Amino acid sequence: MKAGYLVLLLVQLGVAPALADPIQGNEADWLKTMVFAAHQTDYSGVFVYQSGGRVEMSRITHISDENGEHEHLESLGGGKRELIRNNDQVWLYSDGHKVKVERRQIKRAFPALLPEQISTLKENYLIKREEEGEVAGYHVHSVTFQPKDNLRYTRKMWAHYDSGLLLKAAVMDDRGYIIEQYAFMQLNIGGDIDRKWISQIRSAPADPAQQVQPSHLAKAGQLQTESSGWQVDELPTGFRKILEMRRPFHENREPVIHMVFSDGLAGISVFIEKASDSTHRNPGLAGQGAVHVYNRIIGDSLVTVVGEVPARTVIQVAESVRYAGQ
Amino acid sequence: MKQDISALMDGEMYEDQADVFLDRIKHHPEAQQDWESYHLIGDALRQPDHLCKSFRKTFHERLQAEPVVFAPHSRTSQRIRNFALSAVASVMALALVAWLSLQVGNQPAPQVAAIPQDNTAAVRPAAAQTDDYLMAHQEFSPSAEVHGAASYIHAVAGK
Repeated sequence: MKAGYLVLLLVQLGVAPALADPIQGNEADWLKTMVFAAHQTDYSGVFVYQSGGRVEMSRITHISDENGEHEHLESLGGGKRELIRNNDQVWLYSDGHKVKVERRQIKRAFPALLPEQISTLKENYLIKREEEGEVAGYHVHSVTFQPKDNLRYTRKMWAHYDSGLLLKAAVMDDRGYIIEQYAFMQLNIGGDIDRKWISQIRSAPADPAQQVQPSHLAKAGQLQTESSGWQVDELPTGFRKILEMRRPFHENREPVIHMVFSDGLAGISVFIEKASDSTHRNPGLAGQGAVHVYNRIIGDSLVTVVGEVPARTVIQVAESVRYAGQ
Repeated sequence: MKQDISALMDGEMYEDQADVFLDRIKHHPEAQQDWESYHLIGDALRQPDHLCKSFRKTFHERLQAEPVVFAPHSRTSQRIRNFALSAVASVMALALVAWLSLQVGNQPAPQVAAIPQDNTAAVRPAAAQTDDYLMAHQEFSPSAEVHGAASYIHAVAGK
């Protein structure tokens, strides 16, 4: 009975049988399966996000079809916010108004986790397979990634046993306190999923709100990968530069240098731009859940470091940024 | 016994002696009575404004009656500016969080707020620029690979 259900589920998901039993593989395969599932699975459900004393409930729908990936994320609390992704493009709505359009500037190769990133992961984290259990009625197994220093967070992930879809995740600090976590409370994998919002995407270009920030899209083509002469001296071990680029950012402003570093699990972005009167509005440290943001002015440049790492890490990184060019 | 009590009160007993004696006193109600009487005498001699006849008993009763407050850690000490966030005061959601906390193995769970967090005053609206950085970062962060759109929760979370 259960096996029959499983086969049915796999057929619905279109998941290759080889990926159906991720527990047999090593941790690298486990992660790859999760990445694969995150992109290829159709699902819809409600998840709870908790950070400190704050709790958010959100509904998420993900559909992968012949036109690519479509995602819809909406908060179920007050002050309604909505996010729609259509492949590389992301729209952010607030109370029905389009507030932001973001386009992924460089198309990433799939699968995104490269072998060298996996080995980096093992250098920086102790990877432990943990217990099996149940999340939102689905059988899950879990893995903990425990960092070897206190400059990154411990992560525990629970993935659907059959598909590898991530159903629950927790981020913990070096004392074991949970910084943030989210878990599906209700979930449908495959099957009949509401697709009305996809047509909303298709009709989006006709939407006058689309014109809010055309500069983002127009400038996207001008993006270039390069070395700017800026240098970060004190990254935690294992963080490697994934890319460096000059990208369009705020409206009517000069492009911003954006460097991305990763240890395979956590990411740190360093933004460098010309400081203007309006850019220095939020100096210092800001944080939300596991994500920290730190600003600092170097000469006439504003350096902003963003990462899902502890506050001490974004500060350390920001303080070590210097211009090494001429 | 009474001499020992007196010696302990005057600080004339070695630590190991005192430990043994305090253990002994636990099993002798009359000795406890003496202990209290001696303190009361001492207090009276020091002529305070207020004398408490049965301090230990009263203290114990009041401690028992004290409500236990489960409060979240104050984050203000970390000098971290929270983004503006809507506090979800749903009892059901809190129950879910408590449940979630239990699921994270034997890791110490965060304390669940039974009283509103006192950070409302500290909350400042996130500047639109912060959103820009968060979303730009999210595009390339490896966590987005695993978490999918859920990783955008920081951008979508109520403002």
